Amino acid sequence: MRALRYFLTEAGSSIWRGRRAAALAVMTIAVGLFLLGFFLVVNANLARLVARWTEAAEMSVYLRDEVQPGERTAIEDILAGSASVARHEYVSKEDALGRFRRDFADLAGLIEGFQGNPLPASYEVRLRSEAAQQGGLDELAGRLSATAGVADVRYDRLWLSRLNMAVTLLRAVSVIIVTIVGVAAALTVANVVRLAAYARRDEIEIMQLVGSPAAYVRGPFIVEGTLQGGSGAILALAPLWFGFVAANVRYGRFVTGALGLDGLSFLSPAAIGLLLVGGMVVGCLGGMVAARGLR
Amino acid sequence: MLSFPGVIETYHLSKVYSRGVYALRDLSLRVEKGEFVFLTGPSGAGKSTFLRLMLRQELASEGQLIVNGRNLAELRPREVQAYRRSLGFVFQDFKLIPRKTVFENVAFVPRVLGVPEAQQKRRAYQVLKWVGLQHRMNAYPVELSGGEQQRIAIARALVNDPTLILADEPTGNLDPDLSLEIMNLFREINARGTTVVVATHDRELIRQVGRRSVSLDHGQLVETS
Repeated sequence: MRALRYFLTEAGSSIWRGRRAAALAVMTIAVGLFLLGFFLVVNANLARLVARWTEAAEMSVYLRDEVQPGERTAIEDILAGSASVARHEYVSKEDALGRFRRDFADLAGLIEGFQGNPLPASYEVRLRSEAAQQGGLDELAGRLSATAGVADVRYDRLWLSRLNMAVTLLRAVSVIIVTIVGVAAALTVANVVRLAAYARRDEIEIMQLVGSPAAYVRGPFIVEGTLQGGSGAILALAPLWFGFVAANVRYGRFVTGALGLDGLSFLSPAAIGLLLVGGMVVGCLGGMVAARGLR
Repeated sequence: MLSFPGVIETYHLSKVYSRGVYALRDLSLRVEKGEFVFLTGPSGAGKSTFLRLMLRQELASEGQLIVNGRNLAELRPREVQAYRRSLGFVFQDFKLIPRKTVFENVAFVPRVLGVPEAQQKRRAYQVLKWVGLQHRMNAYPVELSGGEQQRIAIARALVNDPTLILADEPTGNLDPDLSLEIMNLFREINARGTTVVVATHDRELIRQVGRRSVSLDHGQLVETS
């Protein structure tokens, strides 16, 4: 406890003495964590959007008119055994005709021109939201197409795969940017703390000569880096929150109406905690790098 | 006849720097517990090198340096820290921390050794009182004379109650009167039983203090008187 108080006091006074350099380190960490937070918010909302749209996406399995009961059983077995399928429903030729007449009353006359019922029986398959990301849909569609009795398989494959590709790309770009900025932030902290160590070299020399424990020599610098990292995280979270509130006020209705989401969502408490801890870890690493040679 | 180990014993101690330059050569020396010894000699004689070896800032190239029965070459990092806690040191340039007050400079040592705050304050006040500067405890080093600064450095060396005091040219920046005043402080410290080793090139001062002196020249022991 005494040691911790000593570390905090020394780190605090060191930050105050080198406040300009410390501000630079804090700002660098804040920029890095702001970017990380921004990407996390965008990513979380995109993931919700993808989940929502994937839930709404359906696969239609059209059957041949001459499909046999045994073939239908085989198709149902495939659907029931697939992890990508949330549920499925058989729509007979008669049901399809009834729906057509109900949903497209103006076009009902077209059907009357045909001999018999031209609409095929089908299975309407509701997909699981995570199915699009797992890439199992192509495989499922391929198996169904190859099954006897199936005339055609349709689903929003291209649209879903493009959406997934965009989300994956965004994640990759955010990981690269955040990694670069994170390393830059750690190096900035290391240099700022090293400057602080240089400014206090007389104290360090005395500490070493009187046999001060290594923890007492290094501790203040590691705490200094950690404090800078924590401050940077708080400084990143504040504008992120205000920016989010402003975006929600301005675009909230559009998001709810056009995209079908119930408003934008901010970072989860776990993600906020992760950003705070992440900032402190980056700062702590910088402090450790700077204090490495001291004992 | 029984032989007791001295506080400091050196056996054929040498320190060689790059290109084979000897800073100390084949030095065998013994300082008894409670003794006051001057190390003297011209610049480059090896006095400061000997003190650096004593502080374990450097290691000997050859021979052995034994302090309080421990061979300094064999100390592990944690043991070096413990060893240094038994020493007090005083330098020519005082090495006071300009940002800290006199009191903070002295209390800094127990503070960074993890001593409880009440004890830090009590010990710092006691040694400041002992060197006669308790009334300047809120001043900063820059506000003090050279003699006062050196007394503060001595107070700092004493605050941890060391068994051995090492001083490297402690009067190098002081006039003769102040030098004698500082030496009298060392004599008082020694009178309390603490072993004192002072490196100085000031032969007149050694004569005035009248204690054993070990003369070095080009790293070699040339005279003990």
